[in-house]
Amino acid sequence: MAKVKQQTEQTFLQDLLDFQGSLNGESEFLDEVRLKGAEEVRNTPFPTKKLEDWKFISLRDLYRDSYELASNLEVDVPDFSEHFLPESKESRLVFINGSFSAEHSSTKALPEEVVIGNIANLAAEGNEQLKEHLHKHADFEDDVFTSFNSAFLEDGAFIYVPKDVTVEAPVHLLFIQTDADKNYFTTSRTVVVADEDSEITLVEDHIGLGDNKYFNLPVVELNLEDRSFVKHTKIQRDSFEAIHIARTAASVAQHANYESYTITRGAKLSRNEPRIFQMDEEVEFTVDGLVLIDGDQVSDTHSVMDHRFSHAESHQLHKCVINGKAHSVFNGKIYVQKDAQKIDSFQENRNLLLSRKGLVNTKPQLEIFADDVVCTHGATVGQLEEDELFYLKSRGLDEQQARELLIYAFALETIENITVDSVQELLVDEVHRYTERQLDSELTV
Amino acid sequence: MLEIKDLHVCVEEDGTEILKGVNLTINKGEIHAIMGPNGSGKSTLSKAVAGHEAYEVTQGDILFEGESILELEPEERAHLGVFLAFQYPVEVPGVTNKTLLRQAYNTIAREQGREELDPLQFEDYAKDKLDLIDMKEEFLDRSINAGFSGGEKKRNEIFQMAVLNPKLSFLDETDSGLDIDALKTVANGINQIADEDKAVCLVTHYQRILDYVTPDHVHVMIDGKIAKSGDKDLAVKLEEQGYDWLTDVASVSVNGEQ
Repeated sequence: MAKVKQQTEQTFLQDLLDFQGSLNGESEFLDEVRLKGAEEVRNTPFPTKKLEDWKFISLRDLYRDSYELASNLEVDVPDFSEHFLPESKESRLVFINGSFSAEHSSTKALPEEVVIGNIANLAAEGNEQLKEHLHKHADFEDDVFTSFNSAFLEDGAFIYVPKDVTVEAPVHLLFIQTDADKNYFTTSRTVVVADEDSEITLVEDHIGLGDNKYFNLPVVELNLEDRSFVKHTKIQRDSFEAIHIARTAASVAQHANYESYTITRGAKLSRNEPRIFQMDEEVEFTVDGLVLIDGDQVSDTHSVMDHRFSHAESHQLHKCVINGKAHSVFNGKIYVQKDAQKIDSFQENRNLLLSRKGLVNTKPQLEIFADDVVCTHGATVGQLEEDELFYLKSRGLDEQQARELLIYAFALETIENITVDSVQELLVDEVHRYTERQLDSELTV
Repeated sequence: MLEIKDLHVCVEEDGTEILKGVNLTINKGEIHAIMGPNGSGKSTLSKAVAGHEAYEVTQGDILFEGESILELEPEERAHLGVFLAFQYPVEVPGVTNKTLLRQAYNTIAREQGREELDPLQFEDYAKDKLDLIDMKEEFLDRSINAGFSGGEKKRNEIFQMAVLNPKLSFLDETDSGLDIDALKTVANGINQIADEDKAVCLVTHYQRILDYVTPDHVHVMIDGKIAKSGDKDLAVKLEEQGYDWLTDVASVSVNGEQ
């Protein structure tokens, strides 16, 4: 085992070194970020099951296979306009296999003073805001995947919302992964800065168009200044053969409010690591999640809610629907630091297990060093109740309709607060396709 | 319309026999009442007719409009026009009454070769039915039974019955837990829905609702069998004398239709 691991790490490093020279030169600033990232990758081992935080999932697929840098591949790009959101016709950035597509993007609907664009262009132009914020908020110490993302940082989205500006149209960040002959990897970076009293809604959307294998490693950094409000919905619909490892870090300043909803449907293996850092007193944040998996999918969410100052309200409702031989892992860490009094934190992981061979590992984890706090947490694993199914069937609904209704009802709580209507609708469709798939393909074991 | 012949039913889980040879015939246009003490098998009979998987028919048959429905799924029975109002309606937070009922109505309509209704048509249709149970329009947009009071849940069952317009309805303890005003509302709804082409079977512990819905036939169920049948006067007698006078004859009474 050890030998195999050694070799595969070598593959990554090899890619890294080959690539390093080819990208540098466009922007000194990005060169530095990449060099630093590469250095960190050299000095940090990739995780294995021996580590507590990685013990439930296997990264063997990732280490064993070789992946090419996505931007080096020639691919056919089919029409994917069906994935455009009607609310974001002119507030959309599209990345195809990690590279910006100007042709599919438009930012006309955004106020002029907002800085929005792709990182490669902004870096080449020497944009000061980008320099100030890129790689400043992804606080993932010793995390080799974040470093890997930095080492290969080529492109991604940058948004700076100035003071007092409200962006009305939701911004759609559409990451399209195409089919390809070879395995590839892509490392997009998204940086969003909401200055004082500003407001923005983001829809981060990862879509795999084929059923091919690729490695998607997005890192998202968000910085919320005083009294700003950021609503962030992430939808992960990568190919069912893909590996998706994501980091999302948000720093939340005084009276700011960060609301995030993460929907996981795709990928063979996915790992989400949202981390919320309270930067001052009086903040609010929500880190809700919905996971719909079947077949042999594995989905792992490791979250951190770090309460560092007094007066915070935090909310995490993480719901998973598991079918077939799918495996769901949840580890939610809640920290309340020593002087962080008057914290009101809610955390719950609810699992709906639809099959006998599905697997759930759940671990809410509280580490509280303050004494005047209210933290509730819990985890449940349940099934569809026979009486509920019978009730709906006795009204004339067939098995499919009845299950769909109940799964939708279970999932709803985590998506009903998403304010973009078309996103809510597409999630209803996802639930529909999810139930349809399980009944058709006998993934219910 | 419904013919139950020598029906024996066990709980699938542990094999306990609950129905021990029930015979019952319900014709269209009739209102029946099945009464009996707790544990006599009244609810089991309703569930067996509706097709609950937890109950296994070990002997006998259930014919609906001349055809056996034993092999049919609950939804297939619903498509034929069988309805069960639940004693304990299930709560489904997040799904509105309207969503469920339109889906149910259209599925049944499709199966029966009738025209389906679009959301607007359905809303108009459903609003008319709300009057039957004296409920406001918001009722349509509330989650199915979630946070409903006991009385609201029972009214919702009658509302669903009105919307789905079944041929045969079993109402399982629809009167229990209702105050007198709610009871009158529910009874009034049932009376308005019942007509010469439909049949209704009230399963109840008490005679109370029968003051407002007059049954053509009253049956008493004791220990998994119909111990006695009669007209509405039987219900009055039961109210006055309880069930004790019947438990002794139960063992000798084989057929409910005496």
